[in-house]
Amino acid sequence: MAKGITEPMGERFGPELTPRRWLAAHAAGQRVWLTLAALAGFAVGALTIVQMLLLAWIISRLLVDGASVASLGGGFLALAAVLPVRALAQWGQELAGQEASLRIRRAVRAELLDHLAAMGPVRAGARHTAGLASQLVEQVEALDGYFARFLPQLRLAVAIPVMILVVVLWLDWLAALFLLLAAPLIPLFMALVGMGAERLNQAQFAAVSRLAGHFLDRVRGIATLQLFHRTEAATHEVHEAADDYRRLSMRTLRLAFLSSAVLEFFASVAIAVVAIYVGFGLLGYIDYGPSPQLTLFTGLLVLLLAPEFFQPLRSLAQHYHDRAAALGAADGMVALLSEAAAEQRTGRPRPVREAGQVVSLVNVTLDHPGRGRVLGPLDLTVRQGDILAITGPSGVGKSALLQLLAGFVAPDQGERRVMDGLSFAWMDQRPLLIPGSLADNLRLAAPGASDAELHQALRHAGLADVVDALPGGLATPLGERGSGLSGGQAQRLALARVFLSNSPLVLLDEPTASLDEGAEAGIIESLRQLSDTGRTLVIATHHPALMALATRRLVLAEGRVVSDSGEAKGDEKDDERRDDA
Amino acid sequence: MRDPSLPITLRPWLRLLARRRRRLMAGAALLALTLGSAIGLLALSGWFITASALTGMALAAGLAATLDVHVPGGGIRTFAVTRTVARYVERLYNHDTVLRLLADLRGTLFAVMARLDERVLARRRASDWLNRLTADIDTLDSLYLRLLAPPAVALLAVLLLSGFVALWVPVAGLAVAALLLSAWLWLTVGQAWLGMAPSHSQVSHVQRLRSQAIEHLQGQAELEAYGARDAHRRLLLQRESQLQQLQRSLGRLSGFGTSLVNLMVGLAMLTALWLAAMAWEQGGISGAVMVMLPLAVLATGEALALLPVAFTHLGATRAAAERLNELVASGGEGTKPGHEALPAGPLSVVLRGVTLRYPGALQPALESVDLALPAGARLALTGASGAGKSSVAALLTRQLPPTAGEIRLGGSALHNIEERSLRERVAILGQRVDLFQDSLAHNLYLADPKADESELWRALAWVELADWAESLPRGLATRVGEGGRQLSGGQARRLALARLWLRDPGLVILDEPFAGLDAELAARLSGRLDQWLAGRTVIYLVHQLAGAFEPPGITRHERLYQGRLTDCAAHSFRSG
Repeated sequence: MAKGITEPMGERFGPELTPRRWLAAHAAGQRVWLTLAALAGFAVGALTIVQMLLLAWIISRLLVDGASVASLGGGFLALAAVLPVRALAQWGQELAGQEASLRIRRAVRAELLDHLAAMGPVRAGARHTAGLASQLVEQVEALDGYFARFLPQLRLAVAIPVMILVVVLWLDWLAALFLLLAAPLIPLFMALVGMGAERLNQAQFAAVSRLAGHFLDRVRGIATLQLFHRTEAATHEVHEAADDYRRLSMRTLRLAFLSSAVLEFFASVAIAVVAIYVGFGLLGYIDYGPSPQLTLFTGLLVLLLAPEFFQPLRSLAQHYHDRAAALGAADGMVALLSEAAAEQRTGRPRPVREAGQVVSLVNVTLDHPGRGRVLGPLDLTVRQGDILAITGPSGVGKSALLQLLAGFVAPDQGERRVMDGLSFAWMDQRPLLIPGSLADNLRLAAPGASDAELHQALRHAGLADVVDALPGGLATPLGERGSGLSGGQAQRLALARVFLSNSPLVLLDEPTASLDEGAEAGIIESLRQLSDTGRTLVIATHHPALMALATRRLVLAEGRVVSDSGEAKGDEKDDERRDDA
Repeated sequence: MRDPSLPITLRPWLRLLARRRRRLMAGAALLALTLGSAIGLLALSGWFITASALTGMALAAGLAATLDVHVPGGGIRTFAVTRTVARYVERLYNHDTVLRLLADLRGTLFAVMARLDERVLARRRASDWLNRLTADIDTLDSLYLRLLAPPAVALLAVLLLSGFVALWVPVAGLAVAALLLSAWLWLTVGQAWLGMAPSHSQVSHVQRLRSQAIEHLQGQAELEAYGARDAHRRLLLQRESQLQQLQRSLGRLSGFGTSLVNLMVGLAMLTALWLAAMAWEQGGISGAVMVMLPLAVLATGEALALLPVAFTHLGATRAAAERLNELVASGGEGTKPGHEALPAGPLSVVLRGVTLRYPGALQPALESVDLALPAGARLALTGASGAGKSSVAALLTRQLPPTAGEIRLGGSALHNIEERSLRERVAILGQRVDLFQDSLAHNLYLADPKADESELWRALAWVELADWAESLPRGLATRVGEGGRQLSGGQARRLALARLWLRDPGLVILDEPFAGLDAELAARLSGRLDQWLAGRTVIYLVHQLAGAFEPPGITRHERLYQGRLTDCAAHSFRSG
């Protein structure tokens, strides 16, 4: 998009909106919950240290100091008390992380919906609907793990090892040195894990989509395979492809799992090294540094803390794919959000110059990204009572002109002026049908309409007979996307909505395309009635029967007005009106 | 599970998994080995440190005491290495297994779907449905790694651990068993039971949110015009909050399970410590063993860690299995294959009182259609879209069975015709051209697997695509993109015509054969098509007979109007 990024985005996210920055901005929006999750996680870490401390202390009191079990009741009780508190803190960590994630996902969805609304039906409609829907639903869901688990864990992966290191340092500096030696390796291995995971993810992603593609491609074409009697061969092929994919991925996995194996190795070796060092130290085999001061208490505690030192990092590695998933999803969303929302569209249009004018376009042009100039420059004024047919060969910009009149898209140059308080009705080839009753679908246009008004609208639209014949009448539920209605019936339903809406201006985009002649004639008759009620109609069409209905015809060629039968007549009318006034 | 249908729901899929029983066992054994090494490492280390400390104290006190450091030292090193290696091998091996299961599942389900008829298939071409299918298959292929191996290994670990503890302190073994087994039971059955309803409906909630989003996007123009966008958006957000309600309760539950693991393992460790300490006090066990037992319990926590999340979401697996079971069942009624072969040469076509009704439709798609076409005739069947032309094609190619009436091809009742013969003798060029993500050659071989390359080139020449194909750097090996997207609509159509040419059918059904082709090319192709169609029965399905794209050699014209053949059509017959 030539216009680049809109101002509000620029202000919020700096000069360039990147997926990382965008994710960070959303994380900042839920700082409280995310901090709470990290704090709870930190409490879990601290309580784990306390638990191990108590355990080592009890053992040491028993074995070294010769205390009786009965005298250590307090220690056992304290340990018993730490456990549920730690469990609660852990639950709290999960809940806070989840709450942050739920709120962020809601905010992201709202942001996307706002942006799509601002883009308008044309700019947003130019994108693949299924793709956009998947961004609104699945891709937003893909952010879950990143906010709920990865981000809190990222802070813990630093804080908890540091905390443990401090405790171990206090116990035995040589053991701490072992861990400290591993510490600089941690970021290194984190990077290694990260790279492995990312490489895995990329390779995997390509392979997965290729293979998922293969399977879905064959499923999609099953009817064709049946017709060619090739289903058996194809079944074999599907299995083969899946197996090839397995061999391919195993090659990547062998490497990818290696990085997590390294972490596993460190966790194991830490225990082994500490155990042997402490054991030999206690036996008096080592008389270097702090070793002679080792006791059962310090030795055991160091041993118990060694695996906990690596645990946060292992958890982080487990959640690493959450990060990759979130970045992938954010990538697409940021691309969508960076697309300019036409601000002029949402602004208030200026009023028309004269009474009797419903909407006018003054010297407007419209460009489509990648296609260049689609329309204009042109002028068009729609007057009250017009039945204006916009015609011309397909691809000439009929729909674009209608969309400009509706304000669904802002002109790149020129302006759109509208009558004060204008509302309009819209109908195209694919009417919106919502799951719900027929009445719900009708009330979309007029939420307060009575049943009697609905019936009247249905009668005007020529759908009354069908609806009356249904046992459920207006309450008859429509299936998903209007299943059960034929194409003609769906169009009539949309037309009934137009009647209900009472909007003075009605914009129709090829309302009878894909209908047979009988259905077309019915719709045309209804449109004539609509015009008789004093509404202004603008119809983009190339159907002769619809053109015949028009009182004014506008022919487009290459985005420009070639002829407008109503221009002169319209002016006369205006003059007459002015004379009257 | 309380619900008796869960085992029944999962049974076919478990049976499929059972085909790889040995791999599954080996994978579980590797899991157990990893876990065993982790437990052994911590327990032995604790024992060694304590034993060293006690020996060191004894030595310091001037007592004669020795400790063999080599065996435990070696043991610790072995456990450390085994744990690392076993974990790596286990992950690799089990992922390999999962991918094998994926291949099995895809193959099995594809074979099932290959038997479905057009009515069932038509609903399943939508990308939504296909995405869900892939997701459901993924859910089931991880059944083993999430829901079978971990609980089995955890149970084994708990039992072995309890037995091991009981060897030293029987009462401690019993206590540990009681605590950890009840934890295991809750983490599997309890979590699954509480999470069943929300996790079962989660996918359908996501699906509903998705439909609502699609609706919101597709209806943007109308919603904006009627000022209904905010109202509709509120509905969308209502759906979202319903979904989030589910997710919140599932998250709460799985979080509870996760904290419960640590609590119960901690309590078991504490109990073991206390009972071991008592035993030690009474001289039953040594101090080192007293330390070893609680540490072994502590290390067992790892075995239970994966259970809560997996079992809280068991309902999702169940729902996936239910959907796939339904898919399998929808192909179950498959008609018995016929045995009559079709004769060579052109085929006669007879439809007698044929009615076709789609379930849920207000009106039948075809009603009492009578039509008799002699062998070699060329019928133009016209009508608006939705008039029933495609239904006629689907009936004649046996993609759909008629609701009522009889269809005969070449004198045989359609349902008695042998599948191979029917497919060889009846060809259709539909409106949708399915090109597969494969090479150009492969897409042509579909029509005739035995064709040699020169025949493919001649087929391409016939539709004037040979020059284009030759200009491609990889020639016939050029891959055709997703759904044939790298080809223009006209090229795809011509490729489909080339496929037709590779065959030798007695009945050809052509749906708008020249759609998307320019007039000159259509005229040239029309001449060639006319020749090729000689000696075959032909049914053209066209919107109307007018203009430059009238197909060649029409001998008869019938018109469909709202599922019926209209009388006027017979009079408007025009010779071609």
